[in-house]
Amino acid sequence: MNHWPFIIAAYAITIAGLIGLTLASFAAMRRAEAAADAIRKKP
Amino acid sequence: MHIFANPNRFLGIARPLTPWLAWGGVLLVAVALASGLFLTPPERLQGESVRIMYVHVPAAWLGMGGWTGIAIASLMQLVWRHPLAAVAARAVAFPGALFTAICLVTGSIWGRPTWGTWWVWDGRLTSMLVLLFLYIAYIALADASSDKGGSSRVAAIFGLVGAINIPIIKYSVDWWNTLHQTASISLTKNTIDGSILWPLPIALIGFSLLFGAIVLMRMRALLAEARIEARLKRMADA
Amino acid sequence: MKAKHQRLVLALVAVAAIIGAAFLAMSALKDTAALFRTPTEVAAGTVPTGKPLRLAGMVVPGSIQRDPDGVTIRFVLTDEGATAPVTFRGITPDLFKEGSGAVAEGKLGTDGVFVADNILAKHDERYMPPQMESAMKSEKDKPVTGGAGEARP
Repeated sequence: MNHWPFIIAAYAITIAGLIGLTLASFAAMRRAEAAADAIRKKP
Repeated sequence: MHIFANPNRFLGIARPLTPWLAWGGVLLVAVALASGLFLTPPERLQGESVRIMYVHVPAAWLGMGGWTGIAIASLMQLVWRHPLAAVAARAVAFPGALFTAICLVTGSIWGRPTWGTWWVWDGRLTSMLVLLFLYIAYIALADASSDKGGSSRVAAIFGLVGAINIPIIKYSVDWWNTLHQTASISLTKNTIDGSILWPLPIALIGFSLLFGAIVLMRMRALLAEARIEARLKRMADA
Repeated sequence: MKAKHQRLVLALVAVAAIIGAAFLAMSALKDTAALFRTPTEVAAGTVPTGKPLRLAGMVVPGSIQRDPDGVTIRFVLTDEGATAPVTFRGITPDLFKEGSGAVAEGKLGTDGVFVADNILAKHDERYMPPQMESAMKSEKDKPVTGGAGEARP
């Protein structure tokens, strides 16, 4: 049995999950902090 | 202990720290995985599949570490009423769940060419799956609490009680006959040859730094949403 | 701070109770939650015949034989206490080897031979590159069940 397809699948899932989580968390943070700053400026 | 109670002090540290953790983590993970793919030898029995260790083991540690963090934060919330504790616990939940899922999936992928099966209901695999279910339940409970900054005591109690599963997972391979191997690395011993072992600590540190960055980003988002809610409330009351 | 002190003590007692309950539960479930039986248990007569279960141990070096029909294989599993013969028709996983761990799924026959319908391989916690293993083999003359961890496949 060639192990490399299994290795690639495991690495791809891990890296994709990590990138997805990092970008999603970053985007949510930016959105929330921008909205918080905007609302602070409102009278 | 209460130095971070004022969110501005926390944010004053979290804001500059986040990119360092993120980029440091990305760098170390890249080095570790490239090393694990190209620079290490195969294992005498498992062949090339041993390279899956460099993603599976960090995912397992962080999945378990995440719940440990939730338990400690829950304790701080319930005993010391620390205002950031609930925010921290909520921020850790989804990342911890994701790493647990990655551990289960990469473990299954590793199991097929080595053990000859994608899954078996042994003590280790079953208790890790239970951890994933606990995370899902915790996320549901925490989301159900109406205010974002807020301290749902039910979620905190659940976070604390759920910690019972962590020693179960750890000792499952010693307590029961399992297909999963016993621990190769512990405080007292290491049974992985150096030529195969060396990228693993780099991977562990890298994934942990990245986990830290993600948790800080999620905490900052929760705190910002809490500020928005508070401001809207003040504006409505005015 | 009396109230905080009280809460802390309560929480610590609760945590200790929870962990205690966990170990108690694990202890009670010890045998039912075990994935497989062992050759020692077979020798002791505590393994039921005719019931589907798993039997695991280390494959005794030199014990793997292929029957004249070309499909059936026979081998012997051991833990440090006893041995148990197994027969199997089918494909074994890559990691199924003499001197290595295996889990047989099937039923124990009344004649004491375990008839397996599936074989899983079980590796232990020692990881080493291939060159190291052959170096080890040529240097030492290891007994069948020698070496740390070989009794626990």
